Amino acid sequence: MITVSFDDKVKIGLQYVLENLHGCSPFGQERIRHLRFYAPEERAALETELGNVERAAAAAAELKDVYDRAMLVLCQMKDIRTSLRRCAEGEMPDHVELFEIKGYLQRLESLIPLLAQMDEKVHLDGVAFHDPAPALAILDPENTRSRGFYIPDGATAKLREIRHAKKQVEEQLYHARTDAEREDLRMKRTRICAEEDSEEMKVRRAMGAALAPLVPDLLADADTAGRLDFLIQKALFAVRCGGVRPELTDTALELEDMVNPELVDLLAEKGRRFVPVSIALDRGAAVITGANMGGKSVAMKTVALNVLLLHAGFLPCAKRAKMPLFHSVKMLFDDLQSIQSGLSGFGSEIVHFQKALDEVEQGYSLFLLDEFARGTNPDEGAVIVQAVTRYLNDVNAVSVLTTHYDKVAEHARIHYQIIGLRDVDPERIRAELAATSEDGVAVIARHMNYGLYRVEGKADCPRDALNICRMLSLKPEILERIEQSY
Amino acid sequence: MQRELLEQLHSVKTMSIVGMCKNAGKTTVLNWLLHHSGRERILGLTSIGRDGESTDVVTGTEKPSIFVPAGTLIATAKDMLRLGDITLEVLMTTGIPTPVGEVVIVRARSDGYVQLAGPSITTQLKTVSRHFFDLGADQSIIDGALGRKSLGARAVAEGVILCTGASYHMSMEKVVADTVNIYRIMNIPRAATLPEEVPGTLADALKKNGEALVGGALTDSMVVPLLRSGVLRRGRLVVKDPSKVLLSTDTLDKLATRQVALETVEAARTLCVTINPVSAYGWRFDKDAFMRAMSEAVDAPVINVKEELA
Repeated sequence: MITVSFDDKVKIGLQYVLENLHGCSPFGQERIRHLRFYAPEERAALETELGNVERAAAAAAELKDVYDRAMLVLCQMKDIRTSLRRCAEGEMPDHVELFEIKGYLQRLESLIPLLAQMDEKVHLDGVAFHDPAPALAILDPENTRSRGFYIPDGATAKLREIRHAKKQVEEQLYHARTDAEREDLRMKRTRICAEEDSEEMKVRRAMGAALAPLVPDLLADADTAGRLDFLIQKALFAVRCGGVRPELTDTALELEDMVNPELVDLLAEKGRRFVPVSIALDRGAAVITGANMGGKSVAMKTVALNVLLLHAGFLPCAKRAKMPLFHSVKMLFDDLQSIQSGLSGFGSEIVHFQKALDEVEQGYSLFLLDEFARGTNPDEGAVIVQAVTRYLNDVNAVSVLTTHYDKVAEHARIHYQIIGLRDVDPERIRAELAATSEDGVAVIARHMNYGLYRVEGKADCPRDALNICRMLSLKPEILERIEQSY
Repeated sequence: MQRELLEQLHSVKTMSIVGMCKNAGKTTVLNWLLHHSGRERILGLTSIGRDGESTDVVTGTEKPSIFVPAGTLIATAKDMLRLGDITLEVLMTTGIPTPVGEVVIVRARSDGYVQLAGPSITTQLKTVSRHFFDLGADQSIIDGALGRKSLGARAVAEGVILCTGASYHMSMEKVVADTVNIYRIMNIPRAATLPEEVPGTLADALKKNGEALVGGALTDSMVVPLLRSGVLRRGRLVVKDPSKVLLSTDTLDKLATRQVALETVEAARTLCVTINPVSAYGWRFDKDAFMRAMSEAVDAPVINVKEELA
């Protein structure tokens, strides 16, 4: 089963996506708050959901008005499930509960024609409500269609009698002249009020009992309203972030030009652009290497984000996608802290790794290791990561490692490298640097290409560090010595 | 008298009834108004939180004492509904929480007793008033707070009824003096223009412009040194609302002598002052002397709840 901690949701940008959805009904908000991931066995249900989202997204412009109106109705829905359950258990609902159930049924009534309008353009599979009319007839027996809730005089013959008597006494009381007269009428009125109260109680109890057999359908409708709410949000998200319906595969994971909405927005604020990432992975270990400017982790987190979005029934943010369903998704980021256990950073990393690996080996999984074993000395670290990579090649999982260590890539099935400064002419940047007072590092960062390219065969030693030294005009005597050692 | 009073009370859309103490006659005034205008006009009724009578609320033993005519709109906490005996029509839930449940708005479909426990925050009270008018009310009435807290009423209502009585103190002089102090502060005129905000102290602002906007409370210890230094003479001080004025009668008098204008951002007026010469604790004042003393001290109509509204 896929479970993701809140910290991980924040790190990969899933929390950002969720917080930017606007669930309208309490039922939809609940689905967003307690995000559920489809398991591989639920493939058919996931396909249905993806189909719905894809069609709803495609028609979003045409149906904007319908979606807006549906969202408005959903916003007005209150969570009446506790009251409904109380009715089902034979308890007596009070006036306000009956008012809220009635209000919920009226909202449902206005949602049905909107759903029909959506259905006309885009068929939404498995999204249908029961007719609220029978339940409404219980709460509005005289069919007044008013928004308020009121037990009508005609609810029982006796109530009509009591209310009539109450009205008479009140009229007499209003015109009463003496205190004695008033006192007498007040006593009389109190008796009538008590009778009214007990008769109304009977009516409320009867309404609760009449609703009881309808409760399962009404609860199911609350769930459906939540589903519709979430579905509209998923569709709008897909429109905003360019979602695509993936082809579901057995093992292969291929994402073309995928993006991470949080980083897209973050970079846009700074006037920069997120470079879409493409990657093709399969069972076994893949290694991402590259310059030390953050591109590796971003690529990995974006893979995790899009895989989890798919499992939650969203369209992944990519141009094209082929994706399998995973038994579990595990990730270990390099900023692991273990204050509680008192172990060193490295020790706690190993503990977490063991635990994650146990879960990964339960079924086809996605396993992400960011800068694994970075907390130890480079010689030993390299040996450890090489061994882990070789082991993961035979584990039934797509494993992705980012690393700095030497000679890890050659043990992996797949090797990706950050494009970095590969295609940049160092002389040009040096000239640009000379002409500006801007911070050198910022200038270089601007020329960095965070895209990935696949390395076939044995890779050359990367020269990004050397290039950076050149661009920043490191002392020539030192540069010369570096070049000799390459 | 009654007709004139009703006209006076009908002249505002929103009204708050506040008291100097318990047993000042707030409920008598409210019931009188409900009885005399509730049949012709739709009144919306709520309260600032729940004042005083908490024992009855907990035990539910005492009979609630506000009696509304059929048609009245009432905003009160959900748990208060079962303590009343009107025939209920629930019109809306407001989402405003109180310790005794969410505030709901109901319509009385019969005459009857109600218990009020409304919102305790100014903005929420304004929201409830707006709902009343949306639901067809002609006037919104807020059963307000007691003592100094009653000054907040100006922020939520255009008109205020100030209730005072013998229960406040055994000395009639003290009752009159303290009521007048509240009355004066409550009737501080509305500022036509707002002074420019100047960084630094009040003295800096006064030296620069001869006027100042007071951000928080205005106390004796702030005003007395300014009076002594002379920067306040013929100056102007503007506070947010009267509840921010924590000045003694003495200081208020000094401000008046030095021709200092004290103004507020919110606007409201006191429609009338009611007096109750009988204390709940046993003593009573001479009703005519009390009436005379009060009438001389305020310019609003003064009404004896025991006689004119009985």
